[in-house]
Amino acid sequence: MIEVSPDIAFIEKLQAASGSQLTTCMQCGACTASCSLSADQDVFPRRQMIMAAWGMRDRLMADPYVWTCHQCGDCTVSCPRGVSPGDVMAALRQEQIIHYSRPRFIARWMQRPAFLPLVVLFPMLTILLIILMAGTLHIPEGPVDYSKFFPHGWLNGSFTALFILSTIGAVAGLKSFWKSASGIPEAPASGRWLKIIGRILWHRDFRQCTEEKSRSLSHLFVFWGFILLLFVTFFAILSTIFFNYPFGFLNPVKIAGNAGALLLFTGSTLMIMNRLLKRNTLRSNYADWFFLLSFWLLTVTGILVEAARFLDWSHAYHIYLFHLILVWIIILYYPYTRFAHFLYRTLSLLLIGTTKPT
Amino acid sequence: MAKESKNIGVYICTGCGIGESLNTAKLSAVAGEYPTVKQCQVRPCLCSAEAHLKINDEIPEHLLDSLVIAGCSPRHNPETLKFGNILTERVNLREGVAWVMEPGHEDTQLAAEDYLRMGIAWTAASGLPDPYIPDGTESDILILGGGITGIQSALEGARAGYSVVLVEKEDRLGGWLNHWHDIIPVSGSRETHLGYFLDEKLEELEASGLITVHKNSTVSAISGEPGKFHVTLRINGRNSECRVGSVILAIGWKPYDASRLEHLGFSRHENMITQADLETMAKQGGILRPSDGKPPENVVFIQCAGSRDEKHLPYCSNVCCLTSLKQALYIRRKYPETNVFIVYRDIRTPGRNEHFYRQVQGDNRIFLTKGEVSGVEELDDGSLRITIGDNLLGEPLSIRADLVVAATGMEPNRSEDLHLLYRKGEGLPERKYGFPDSHFICFPYETQRTGIYAAGAVRTPQGIQDCMEDAGGAVVKAIQCIEAVRRGEAVHPRPGDRSYPVLSLQRCTDCKRCTEECPFGTYDENEKGTPLPNPARCRRCGICMGSCPERIINFDNYSIHAISSMIKSIPIPDELEEKPRVLAFVCENDAYPAFDLAAFHRHRISPWLRIIPVRCIGSINKIWLSDALSAGFDGIMQIGCKPGEDYQCHFITGSELMETRSENIQQTLQTMMLEPERIKTVFLEIDEYHRLPEIIDDYLETIESIGPNPFKDM
Repeated sequence: MIEVSPDIAFIEKLQAASGSQLTTCMQCGACTASCSLSADQDVFPRRQMIMAAWGMRDRLMADPYVWTCHQCGDCTVSCPRGVSPGDVMAALRQEQIIHYSRPRFIARWMQRPAFLPLVVLFPMLTILLIILMAGTLHIPEGPVDYSKFFPHGWLNGSFTALFILSTIGAVAGLKSFWKSASGIPEAPASGRWLKIIGRILWHRDFRQCTEEKSRSLSHLFVFWGFILLLFVTFFAILSTIFFNYPFGFLNPVKIAGNAGALLLFTGSTLMIMNRLLKRNTLRSNYADWFFLLSFWLLTVTGILVEAARFLDWSHAYHIYLFHLILVWIIILYYPYTRFAHFLYRTLSLLLIGTTKPT
Repeated sequence: MAKESKNIGVYICTGCGIGESLNTAKLSAVAGEYPTVKQCQVRPCLCSAEAHLKINDEIPEHLLDSLVIAGCSPRHNPETLKFGNILTERVNLREGVAWVMEPGHEDTQLAAEDYLRMGIAWTAASGLPDPYIPDGTESDILILGGGITGIQSALEGARAGYSVVLVEKEDRLGGWLNHWHDIIPVSGSRETHLGYFLDEKLEELEASGLITVHKNSTVSAISGEPGKFHVTLRINGRNSECRVGSVILAIGWKPYDASRLEHLGFSRHENMITQADLETMAKQGGILRPSDGKPPENVVFIQCAGSRDEKHLPYCSNVCCLTSLKQALYIRRKYPETNVFIVYRDIRTPGRNEHFYRQVQGDNRIFLTKGEVSGVEELDDGSLRITIGDNLLGEPLSIRADLVVAATGMEPNRSEDLHLLYRKGEGLPERKYGFPDSHFICFPYETQRTGIYAAGAVRTPQGIQDCMEDAGGAVVKAIQCIEAVRRGEAVHPRPGDRSYPVLSLQRCTDCKRCTEECPFGTYDENEKGTPLPNPARCRRCGICMGSCPERIINFDNYSIHAISSMIKSIPIPDELEEKPRVLAFVCENDAYPAFDLAAFHRHRISPWLRIIPVRCIGSINKIWLSDALSAGFDGIMQIGCKPGEDYQCHFITGSELMETRSENIQQTLQTMMLEPERIKTVFLEIDEYHRLPEIIDDYLETIESIGPNPFKDM
């Protein structure tokens, strides 16, 4: 039994975030019919659309199904009322991220352009403060060596500490999400998680989309590029402690790093192009652009930082500082931006058991 | 009337493949056998202007008084093959023979010869009808009911130049509109605000010099017939008489009695009201909870409250969905913090109303969902907890509602308000769901009383927009009727027919069959039970002719004698020739056109069949059946329109009557010691023409299996 008590502010928020006149949904179910994720008994996403139009905030905040959606646009294209269910699902995911973020205000910063200076200034000043504490706050002389500007120990130490801090926030949010969302009738199926991880790694469900075929490919590039770079970073940190750093150009770790950067660059560039070209089926709001552009800039500045070192550019350290701010935005803000999707989606899929009954 | 002797001219056409298929010279010789045939010609193209002129010249030359035109189906070239005021019979050689039978075959030739004989026999026994034109016909239109339909009808009638008498029982015009707060947007209206909308119409009404309005008035009696109805009005308690040509019934509707909605516990809950209650409440200025007079915070509308429900009203009333949307919108305008929930089975907003639906949906505090109310529980403060099951969320919803509005459907008001002094009752016979409309597919506004047309919500549940359209349609029908009566012609479905039933009352046994069976209440009765015909009420179907055991009812051009003559004119081959003969009485409305369609598609029709078109299978008199069987026909088919709930009979009850009469017919067969299969009734829809060859062949097989008619050669 659902006790109806509509949250009008929530409806308005979803409308603003998705740009959809979602109350004009006539509940026909064309979205469900076209959705490759919808199973026989599960009227996804119509059920969510009705709940959204009825302002059922509590229900929707505890709904892991919205995370099964890849926003492929199949439903949006087939919707006879033009209410873009795909965009509404995206708005719901965004609302969930805000809802479960600890502390919540950081997530709110990420939603509004007005907070952009704050979002950038905060990491910049903090980084400069750490460098000041390290006593290296000046542009070093001689060939480019970033450790002269930001000593590896200070960098690794401070960023790891901050990463742990934000992860604590992420864990707190996810715990709360797990608690709310596990109220759904389907119990997590034990022993399936490996299979689910496998599905995620190869984007099997994502590739079912018909309207936006290219999106699964660009995401796959970014996904694997990022994983590759994650390992590279791990090795890099180890190297700064135990081996020589930086690596030579032909070092296997370096090659992997460059391959990862290439994948990231290609993938995120494709994503940006796609969002620019497909504005009808895939609406992008500020939070989308903020995350996607930061990601792209992170990749580009990363490549430039590397190039600057090899080519000994004079502005290398400025680029490096900019890159570090972007690292902060992507890595340290991760529970509060769209990046958090990897956590919520994985958790939701584990929670639901599987994205599709097999 | 039929004359004693005739001078018949027979013209045989050879065009359209007739000449190639048949030996027209032999046909001409058949016509020549008849002494009444003074002139017989075979010509290539009778529908040409040349041929027409020639025949026109030959009519006075040979002193012809009737014509037999043997060529295409009578359904084709009806105007071209008309030769002034002269009885003309069309023999269907094209669709009836040449196109459906094997060309040049002996049996094909026999069929053509038989049809020619039948045509000559019919002509010899028929006459040109002498039309019935009542003295002093009136052209005024009486409109009963001063709601939107009545007002619009009056305006339409006056715009067409006819005087209108508008009778309203209340002290002002407007009907339900006077009780409404607002109306559903009407497309094409300058301003859909109710005030403007009604005022504009009333202004035009007053300005028109042709409309007489009687308020506080009712009709206490209507007698007579179209063209001269005698109406007794009760105006402010005083009787007044008037005469009108036709009547429009626009008495509207009433909301379904909500106290019967026991599953919602309607009468137990003070805060549950109907849409009409809400409208009146809004009109009086406040939308408040009846229990404590507080403004509601959560309003729930329950759609289809007793509609589309076999236990209540089985039909959809068309406007309740739109009404709830409209009401939701004005509740929201009045109370910006109030939530409105609309629970529907299907939301129905046809046509341009879809835009309105969308507009209402755009309000974030109007919530719509499919669902069924599965529980209503009254809380301490008089609020109602509404449980909605069977929704699209897969689990029940529960809403605490301050005010619940049941969207009840529309029921027609009783047509007994007409107070017809007819033998068959004061009101109009009710058809499907209790509405008086008789044949909604082909003849909207038609009722089973000629000259009385139903319009608006009394005809079918509908909203203001459709009521106004109805008004225009019904006025056109009313005017057509007045003008047809003045010319002595029938109205639909036989427009232009100048014949009417003529009764030889000296032989009447007062059996009342005609009075009982006439679907249109044509016959009143005197105290002895003798029928008193009102020919202008008649639709000329001939059902009375079919019903009369004494055979005293006939039309000048459609008589028992004429059809019997046709039957008897057909030579029946003897048993040894193995050429069975089946006679088919075929309804002119759908079945006969179906035969024509079969011919266009060149379907094969057995040459053993002989077709006699009839106005309705209800007009088949039993004597024709015994005539045919005595003559030696092996079988008889009666092919007519579908009876039943979705009847297609153009005279409403003709096919039904045929079904009830068939028992009687079987008795006749028994007394003649014949098999029941000798007579077969077939109900056919016009688009089933492709089934005809099969139907006929199957029947011929049946006949073959039971053997030839023993009366042959007797």
